[in-house]
Amino acid sequence: MDAVLYPVNDFGPVMKGLAIGGLGIFHVFTAHFAIGGGMLLCYFQWLAMTGRSKSARAFLDGYFRYLVLISFVTGALTGVAMWFTSIQVSPVTIGLMIDEFHWLWAVEWTFFCLEVVAGYAAFKYGPQLTDRARLALLVLYSFAAWMSLFWINGILSFQLTPGAWLESRSLWDAFFNPTFLPSLFYRTVAALVVAALVAMVLINLAPTFTREEREELVHRAAWLMAPMALMPVLGVWFIAAMPPDSREWIMGGSIAMTIMLNIAIGASALVGGYALFGLIRKQLYINGATATVLCILAFAATAGGEFVREGVRKPYTLRELLYSNAVRPEQVAALREHGLTEIDPYPLRDEDKLPKLNGRPHPHLLTGALVFRQQCSVCHTTAGVNALPGLTRGWDAEMERQNFAKLQQLKPFMPPFAGTPAELESLVQFVEWWEKGRPDTWPDAAADPTEYADRLARIRRWLDEAGPHPALVRAARSDAKGGR
Amino acid sequence: MDAPFPFGLPLPTAFYLTVYVVTLVLHVVFMNYVLAGTAALAAAYLRPGNRGTGESTAILKEWMPFMLSGAITAGVAPLLFLQILYKREYYTANLLLFNRWMAILPVLIFGFYALYLLKSRWLTRRTGCIAAAVAVVPILSVAFTGYSWTENHLLSVRSPAFWGEFYGTRAQVYHDPQLLPRLLVWAVGSVPTLVLVLAWQHWYRGTGRPASLARVAGTGLVLVTAATAWYYLATDDTTRQAFVSPLAAPYFAAACLGLLVQSVGWGWVSLSPALDGRKLLVPSLGLVLTVGGMTVCREAVRIAALGPERFESLFPGHAEAFGKGGLFVFLGFFAVNAALIVLVFWLVRHHSVTKPGPSHNPHGTPET
Ligand code: HEC
Ligand code: HEM
Repeated sequence: MDAVLYPVNDFGPVMKGLAIGGLGIFHVFTAHFAIGGGMLLCYFQWLAMTGRSKSARAFLDGYFRYLVLISFVTGALTGVAMWFTSIQVSPVTIGLMIDEFHWLWAVEWTFFCLEVVAGYAAFKYGPQLTDRARLALLVLYSFAAWMSLFWINGILSFQLTPGAWLESRSLWDAFFNPTFLPSLFYRTVAALVVAALVAMVLINLAPTFTREEREELVHRAAWLMAPMALMPVLGVWFIAAMPPDSREWIMGGSIAMTIMLNIAIGASALVGGYALFGLIRKQLYINGATATVLCILAFAATAGGEFVREGVRKPYTLRELLYSNAVRPEQVAALREHGLTEIDPYPLRDEDKLPKLNGRPHPHLLTGALVFRQQCSVCHTTAGVNALPGLTRGWDAEMERQNFAKLQQLKPFMPPFAGTPAELESLVQFVEWWEKGRPDTWPDAAADPTEYADRLARIRRWLDEAGPHPALVRAARSDAKGGR
Repeated sequence: MDAPFPFGLPLPTAFYLTVYVVTLVLHVVFMNYVLAGTAALAAAYLRPGNRGTGESTAILKEWMPFMLSGAITAGVAPLLFLQILYKREYYTANLLLFNRWMAILPVLIFGFYALYLLKSRWLTRRTGCIAAAVAVVPILSVAFTGYSWTENHLLSVRSPAFWGEFYGTRAQVYHDPQLLPRLLVWAVGSVPTLVLVLAWQHWYRGTGRPASLARVAGTGLVLVTAATAWYYLATDDTTRQAFVSPLAAPYFAAACLGLLVQSVGWGWVSLSPALDGRKLLVPSLGLVLTVGGMTVCREAVRIAALGPERFESLFPGHAEAFGKGGLFVFLGFFAVNAALIVLVFWLVRHHSVTKPGPSHNPHGTPET
């Protein structure tokens, strides 16, 4: 088996997905604000220079541009941070993506450079420039910022819906994949909303505006939220373009996913409803407190949305290409003959904490710990979030054997087990040991060789019954090929 | 690998290595400005009685946030190609250093905001101690970042067996006898780059004293020569030979020549009472030779450290990535966006209601 194994870090009680999700929320919120903020500045610049709004200029020269500056710098650094975190969580995933998309990332980088230069120039020299030049800089900045969204969006949406690429292997099929457009539009609307809400907070905070000026500016900013009316359509479009099994997770198949989706929808609906209602009635005034609450709701919506985006890809990180635990689907069958634990160059860190058998660290527990590290630890912990010993509490060892062997049938968002029967048995021993409070001594699972051989044979049969394929595959493909 | 870089390598490898080196040079220039510049800022605030009021300090303070953005942005491009060239090595080092490695990001954000604080009016109303405390934050965060990159780099070229051992120890800090000398070369090497860029900024504004700038640049050049000598002595034979291997020898020669050209150039610059753009071109040429040459040598050292077998085992991966599309789209957008960046500069220069910047007029446009 030619496999490159990477060292696996222990995130303690935190699920790895949560680490990237947590950072992702922060990054997406600031990056969206940087994009929407640029667009809002363009709009206000236009209002000011065409004489449509007197107070727009004061706003332009005020704090908002500092915020945009801060957020595009923070957006850039947290973007690099996202990259680094992705490496920590799944180097194999990011490696494959780099191979496939590096030139598109390089394209994004050229826009990123333009964004930095235009953003700084607009910030630093904007007030000294002619109106048209200032507008031009703001448009260049916003355009570049939005284009970097455009490029990264294609790469990220590919992870969930590789679409026609699976057959054609064409870069453009990968990029313009089924969820490319709905998520691009959705994110654009989200960027506008975030910017409008933050602007409203600032307008209310600025001491120099009169009540009338505030009302006018708030009303202007609220127009950027009008596209929220499209959100339900975009949401439905996105969900329709999703793989059917992922759709099931968020429609009740996975409680956590469904809750998060509902938070995202509920929070967006509140924000959108409030703004649209006000706009239609033409007497919208959003004071500082309300604007802050709406901002928090928008943050919650972002959080829910990102959580769902990270979560619905399960059991894959790259749909049909790579499981979350870095196993490639086509390798599962071979891995059931020769597992990975024997070729893992990285020792077990807690080896000395294992009970001894014949004076050496217990071999089954050692193997089991390695199997857990390689195959389960990306989504499970031993004693924290989604802890495996907690999930199997009350199961006997035989139930664990059968359920681990048929992992993909137990929950379709888990990948099939990718190891030998002996490795699976070791994993069961390891989980049992944890469930029993990690006693100092542990019996030898293979003490009775015939019984042990029988046990492995049973596991082999269950593995074969479940097969090496994931429980759910793309509907279209299983129709075409009569299922797998 | 018996021909000068990048010849004698398979096309995909040569290609990615070349774009990697070129983009890394860009990163190095910004990074040098930030590294030496934040150190200079800290020094200016730490000197008793000085509140960062000098002309050069003013320029540094003004430009440092942008330059830090530049260093980060310019770092992204080589980071991309690095992952194609040395995927396993880079990722493994990242994973082994784990939290230690990830720390550079919050640390950089921290440094960033300290730079803004340094420019703020709020700070001018504080005591000198507070100002000095704020002024040391950027250099600390930037130095930590540079240290981490060197540490990560050195760990990335160790053997898989060593990685396994290192993982077992749970350590998140890697030490290597080469680390300090290598870091020192980077640190003092950043001085001549900073002074040169700063000299161009002075020239643009019509300020700056050539003799004192040349003195600092000269000191930097002497120090970098000394640091390189120490590095040479402290390192192993594989590394020493890499510099004079057929792959790198011409580049090593170019780097040395560059040092000479810089020295002569600065001597010439220092003779004039005001900065002369044409004269400044000479040390600029020397700097390009030195930084470009050393960046290739740095690569030769890595290739030597990996050894031919391990390096050649990477070739198929490069060829695979080379087969993916998008290069021409990149080139197209690169050209368009480069033009748009020029447009930004043009807009700022020619569409001001009040002219920004130069008090003297190097470009001959009428003064307002
Ligand atoms: C792609 C992520 C992922 C991977 C990899 C993964 N799991 Fe899970 N697993 C989950 C999720 C999500 C749940 C659902 C938790 C819940 O329902 O609260 C789960 C639930 C379980 C359950 C409880 C199921 C039930 O019906 O209560 C068991 C047992 C389990 N996993 C075992 C494993 C084992 C053993 C491995 C490694 C061989 C593994 N999982 C790998 C995501 C994963
Ligand atoms: C501003 C703070 C930074 C400083 C002071 C800095 C400094 C350095 C130094 C000293 C090296 C050379 C290491 C060596 O060869 O020993 C280096 C390499 C590099 N830097 Fe930076 N860096 C900074 C930020 C960044 C950021 C944010 C990125 C990524 C976005 C980046 C990308 C790179 C890359 C890709 C390399 C090459 C690494 C290799 O080939 O192993 N740098 N940097």
